[in-house]
Amino acid sequence: MEHLAAHLWPILDQIQGYIYPNEVELYWRVLIVIYPYITGLVAGAFILASLVKVFNVKELQPTYRLSMLTALAFLIVAPMPLLFHLGHPERAFEIFLTPNRSSAMAMFGYVYIWYLMAVLLLEIWFDYRKDLILWSQQGKGLKKWIQKLITLFSKDISEKALKFDKAAVKVITIIGIPSAFLLHGYVGFIFGSIKANPWWSSVLMPIVFLFSAMVSGMALVLLLYQILMLSRRKEISMPTLDKLADYLFYTMIVAFSLEALDFIHRIYESEESIKIVSQLISGKLFVSLVVIQLLLGMLIPLFTFASIKLFRFPAELRKLLYFVAALLVQVGIFTTRWNVVIGGQLFSKSFRGLTTYKMSIGGTEGLLVALMFLILPFIILYFLIKILPPWKESGTP
Amino acid sequence: MKKILDIIPEQVKRLLIPVSILILSFILLRSFLIPPDFGKYGHYRASAVDEIAAKDIKYIGQEACEDCHDDVVAKKNMSYHRNVMCEVCHGPSAAHIEDPDGNKLSAPRERGYCPLCHEYIPARPTGFPQIVSESHNPMKACIACHDAHDPAPPEVPKECEACHAEIARTKAVSHHMEVSCTRCHETSEEHKVDPRNFRPSKPMTREFCGSCHAQKADASKELTRIDLATHGERYVCWQCHYPHLPESK
Repeated sequence: MEHLAAHLWPILDQIQGYIYPNEVELYWRVLIVIYPYITGLVAGAFILASLVKVFNVKELQPTYRLSMLTALAFLIVAPMPLLFHLGHPERAFEIFLTPNRSSAMAMFGYVYIWYLMAVLLLEIWFDYRKDLILWSQQGKGLKKWIQKLITLFSKDISEKALKFDKAAVKVITIIGIPSAFLLHGYVGFIFGSIKANPWWSSVLMPIVFLFSAMVSGMALVLLLYQILMLSRRKEISMPTLDKLADYLFYTMIVAFSLEALDFIHRIYESEESIKIVSQLISGKLFVSLVVIQLLLGMLIPLFTFASIKLFRFPAELRKLLYFVAALLVQVGIFTTRWNVVIGGQLFSKSFRGLTTYKMSIGGTEGLLVALMFLILPFIILYFLIKILPPWKESGTP
Repeated sequence: MKKILDIIPEQVKRLLIPVSILILSFILLRSFLIPPDFGKYGHYRASAVDEIAAKDIKYIGQEACEDCHDDVVAKKNMSYHRNVMCEVCHGPSAAHIEDPDGNKLSAPRERGYCPLCHEYIPARPTGFPQIVSESHNPMKACIACHDAHDPAPPEVPKECEACHAEIARTKAVSHHMEVSCTRCHETSEEHKVDPRNFRPSKPMTREFCGSCHAQKADASKELTRIDLATHGERYVCWQCHYPHLPESK
């Protein structure tokens, strides 16, 4: 009982105004910030990959496989923050056994599995099958057997079979686009459907989430493409980079317009919550929302991309500007998730008070665990690239 | 049948093997793992109810304490803590009933526990005793002055603020900051020890506020003046103006 007092008492100091006792402490902490951020990267990276297959954007071909592997690496990590947050990961499979159809959160398991099994793994399998067969014929040792196992010991690389693979990839991508929309739109839906919380409750939430997801996914692939090419000492293809930046720029314009629309709509509606929300924006969220999310994460990158389009910068400068802008976009989207998840819990449902969130460093929901979940996808991606090299020159003719 | 199998490409046939293993094992696992009584009453295992009911009881309730500590319980029941059950401070006591000497109970003796209820938070109801820990005898433990079983303050509170903290804080930043509480509320001494039965008065006439704010009132010139005859004549002033923060709208 004394540890409870020691834990709660200091928080009481942080309260401003009128706040109900159950709102003093935040229940959705940094791991719940990480979760939509990672899911967004998955959806964004996949949608980028689909541009190549469905919309035939030839310039982006060098990033196709990289986008798919990035989506897979992040998708594997996506549910982990949730499992850590809830505790008892050993019981997680039970949501599949006894599905609760009236709970949007419980149904996410199926959305996730559908996306992992029926979309990502299947598409990667069909896309890599021919290469894996050829690699395994040339390879040796354990790697050869891993590759054989992944192909399920299939050997058929006749023209007919390859044609089928190609068609299968296209069909899966077409199914994959709505699935990716569902995956991340769902995350927005969870927040948007909490009607008691005016910061979250908005029909626009799923679509705002979706576009910010696309922005973050594209920016991540842009960063990864540049870093990996540099580390492999290969030439970065400028048409690819320019096209990627173009799509990122256009998506950012849509994302920015949607967010602005949501914001203007809130101000024009001026519901009873407007006062506390404006207090939140001008106070506790000022740095993370106005300075980082809006200025650093949106306006400066938008301005950078626009000026690259307007003026003819040399290739080296363009690479640098793209890199810095994409990095800023990542930071911006991360703070977007922070502002949604944490911001939504900082004010009281009485609309008359504010509380504070202080992240712990250790513990199951602290900074170190959060960092681990942000680094883990890159480690998985490293191994995926080792087993399934996404480079054109690794492929066999 | 053979014709159909021939149409299916080789890789799809291979793919169908792990897919069907996955689906079949899922179906099989479901039949093994879902308890037979799941869903009998709702989206849970029916026998869970019995299992929970069969768990050891940790809390025993105040009546059990009364059997031995009737004097303490009687004292508490006469005090402001009459609605606070013994186990709120002393913790779960079922084991203590079984073996009173083996399982001794304790209560928090440090500062910090009492403020969980009594620290000043604007959300707490006015009249509920609230303190600001930093300024309220900071180095002393609560129980040094207050008896938890009869927590009436050892000294009668000198200021209204001790209980009406939110009003006091609101008034302190208003134009009425100089006006003492007792100027408007006639308060008997008994109110300090028995607040609910001896309530302070409230101004019931327009003339009361008029004694400062009427056109001809004998008061400082800076005060807002109104014509009592024409200004909201059918209402008592505090029906429109909040006296603890009169400038609010």
